[in-house]
Amino acid sequence: MAKLTIDGVAIEVPDGTRLFDACTQVRGEALPHFCYHPDLSIAGVCRLCQVEIEGAPKLTIACNTVVRDGMVVHTRSERVRRAARQILEMHLINHPVDCPICDQAGECGLQDQYMIHGLYASEVAKSDKVLKLKAQPIGPHVILDKERCVLCSRCVRFCQEITKTGELGIFQRGDRAEIGVAPDRQLDNNYSLNTVDICPVGALTSRDFRFQKRVWLLRSVPSICPGCATGCNIRIDHEGGQVWRLRPRRNDAVNGPWMCDTGRLEYKRLHAGDRLSRPLVRRDGELREVEWREAWPELEQRLTAGKGKLALANPHQTVEELWLFKRLAGLFCGEDLTAGCLAGSDAAEGDQFLLDADRSPNRAALARLGLAARAPAQAAAQAVAGAPVLVYGGDPALADPALAAALGAAELIYFGTRLNATASRARIVVPLAMWAEKAGLFLNRQGRLQALRAAIARPETAREDWRFLAELLTRLGAGPQPATLALLRAEVGAAFGLPAAQDLDALPAEGLVLAPVTGAPAGGGR
Amino acid sequence: MPRDDCRILSARFGRRDGHKLAVYEADGGYRALRKALTSMTPVAVRDEVKAAGLRGRGGAGFPTGVKWGFVPAGASTVYFMVNADESEPGTFKDRWIMDYDPHAMIEGAILSSYAVGARLCFIYIRGEFGWLIDRVQKAVDEAYAAGYLGRGILGSAYELEMLVHKGAGAYICGEETGLINSVEGRKGQPSIKPPFPAVQGFLRQPTIVNNVETVAAVPYIVREGAATYRRHGTEKSPGTKLWSVSGPVRRPGVYELPLGLPFREFFTQDLGGMADGEELKAVIVGGSSVPVLTADEIMGVNLDYESLAEAGTMLGSGGMIVVPSRCDMVELIQVLMHFYWDESCGQCTPCREGTGWLHKIVKRLRTGAGAPSDVELLERVCDGMMGLTICPLADAAVMPMRSFLQKFRHEFVALAHRPEIAQPRSRWARQTNEVVR
Repeated sequence: MAKLTIDGVAIEVPDGTRLFDACTQVRGEALPHFCYHPDLSIAGVCRLCQVEIEGAPKLTIACNTVVRDGMVVHTRSERVRRAARQILEMHLINHPVDCPICDQAGECGLQDQYMIHGLYASEVAKSDKVLKLKAQPIGPHVILDKERCVLCSRCVRFCQEITKTGELGIFQRGDRAEIGVAPDRQLDNNYSLNTVDICPVGALTSRDFRFQKRVWLLRSVPSICPGCATGCNIRIDHEGGQVWRLRPRRNDAVNGPWMCDTGRLEYKRLHAGDRLSRPLVRRDGELREVEWREAWPELEQRLTAGKGKLALANPHQTVEELWLFKRLAGLFCGEDLTAGCLAGSDAAEGDQFLLDADRSPNRAALARLGLAARAPAQAAAQAVAGAPVLVYGGDPALADPALAAALGAAELIYFGTRLNATASRARIVVPLAMWAEKAGLFLNRQGRLQALRAAIARPETAREDWRFLAELLTRLGAGPQPATLALLRAEVGAAFGLPAAQDLDALPAEGLVLAPVTGAPAGGGR
Repeated sequence: MPRDDCRILSARFGRRDGHKLAVYEADGGYRALRKALTSMTPVAVRDEVKAAGLRGRGGAGFPTGVKWGFVPAGASTVYFMVNADESEPGTFKDRWIMDYDPHAMIEGAILSSYAVGARLCFIYIRGEFGWLIDRVQKAVDEAYAAGYLGRGILGSAYELEMLVHKGAGAYICGEETGLINSVEGRKGQPSIKPPFPAVQGFLRQPTIVNNVETVAAVPYIVREGAATYRRHGTEKSPGTKLWSVSGPVRRPGVYELPLGLPFREFFTQDLGGMADGEELKAVIVGGSSVPVLTADEIMGVNLDYESLAEAGTMLGSGGMIVVPSRCDMVELIQVLMHFYWDESCGQCTPCREGTGWLHKIVKRLRTGAGAPSDVELLERVCDGMMGLTICPLADAAVMPMRSFLQKFRHEFVALAHRPEIAQPRSRWARQTNEVVR
């Protein structure tokens, strides 16, 4: 441990701590900085985090300094403030100050520092500004504005150190220096949008989000990416009932501060056109919209008409939903429990970093709840013609032609959000909520429980999944069901063998890792 | 006329075929190496250089033996690099060594490599020195052929490979970490310190980088001993220094002087005073990066590290630029500011943006487009650059700029207040073929 004094406050930090981080601890806010990033190597080029260390003749950058016992540091002295102000001015002299048309406005390091230091009068002649290229697409998702760039090199280091793809570099020197893409390359790795996140200014912007929304209008909800089994922690930025972008949220046990582009663009499917909003019932061969009061009796009648042979869930539903679904399937299929999920669904190519080959967020929960995977052919064999079949979410009809035919011939009941190949073969379709419209838990590939939170409202006529399932169970005579999500989670927690004191409404920040189940199906049903 | 009483580095300047191995050997060359390899341990060589008080001649003046001592004890892989990226404006001394006496540098590099435990040595020569690269490469080949390089040098267990590396003509590669990055094949720009190269340099191994002139003094020190070396110079600035003198003096050129010599004596006796019709206005004494001294100031100083520091400037590289009174100081600083703007590597913000800004303001003043506030603005920009960057290039631009503003302020103020007196076309440029951009 090292004892040091920062701004008159004595603190003790572990040996090897970066002075930058020790300063943050004391100040309650980080020193001004552009190039420092805790997950990247130290560049030391923005020169903004200069502090005064007693005994050192010059100011020292805190990001490249390791604490020493007995250090006396000043971060708010007049000398430090003046240096920060002067260096900030240097950052600004060739900046175009085109904030009114810049997507970074509102979350821009230059703007923030400018407000702190109050450099209201520009001393640089307009004609003295160095002009550089603006709005150059450098990859499928990212656009570069060289004028706005402060050359902090975070994006370059990200591509060298995190993705190890090395697409970006700094070309030329002096005030002609600029970020660029290596010859014959594009910034086309699947993590390219992280460069937009770490860019402290508006030099790198997302081609997807560009010009869509002013960031100060956005509201942000912490949630979990539904794109794959990794379960990256995210923020859902939404406004006006619409999600505008997803951003990674730091969880060092899962995704660090990053997420992949595939996951980031997952939100687009929320607003795709084939959304189910009202119950559908097949009449005269056509699926027709009906009111819920008409749908309920139809649903009850179909679910109790005969013993179902097949109830298929899918790994995009939350833990709580699957828990209730399993209960429903027990009722529906009786002792002859053939509930499960489709094997091999959502399989794609993964990478060695965050994107998992399993593009579903909750497959581990299926396994833990005993909703075993079955092959499409097996499922097709169980979907007996004329007998009721229950499918909850997903699109199994798309997985296999034989299964599609079998589902079409059976009395198919579909709960879901999309009018897809499966829904369009159903006798009755129940509209439920999408992932950004509901709360729930996902169990990721590490066996870590993480919480999904509702960001936007579902269509008024669609139901929140767990409430619908609970009501349906009650109507079917399964007795009283949990009246709140908290009570439902308590049931799930008990089933998972968690202590009663474990409140699943308040998971630890890094999520809750469940102890492996002995005797659980190996491989989690992948 | 070079002084005959202290010719350590320049003894062989002008010697016919002096760059050839046979002539160098006939003049006593490689005797120091033989002595070291047969009778001295590496530590003994280092201690001798430390005792001699030899200081880095590239500009910083850091004690060479002390620098060598920073290599961690027991380091298994150490590299040695000779910094021959001589590109400080006004400095042209190392090229004389490489031109006339390349073997002195090579012998010094072998001795230095031996002292620090290096088995691979680079000689990093700036790209514009095409003919010197050929000359040094030939000398290295000769040294290999004669067994001064390679395995088992002079029958000892010591082995050393030496590579001549051609730079691409960037001033910043003369900064030691920029040089190391350049040799590694990276962009030539300095690295943040710590770690220092002596601990973690080339390929993350301990690396010592020394200037050509520093290295070339080592054979003499090893051969004659520290005490003999210290007979020259002063107590705190021992030995001799090469000075490259440019400007309208009667005898410009490269001179070797004992440190501590009064400038007045050097100026009147060696340089022969100003050329006919010229009057001394100022001297930039240690290469373009140091504060300028006025004629009055320079006449009172001695040419050694301490006296020059006391006078508010630095010995630097010994690139002495003599400025005549007909020279427009604003124009001169414009040339220098153009240089630093052009050569800034661009990684640190204060330097990247500041050098360009300084150049633009000075240029504006010079062309009659300036405003009275520009003089204060120049000072403010300097404040935002000095001491705030990874390497000293920003400081190197600020030091002359500030001293010009301080000592020749009236010339800046006159231009700012009376832009009509501006002479965008340069008298000076016509005389020196200097391109003023």
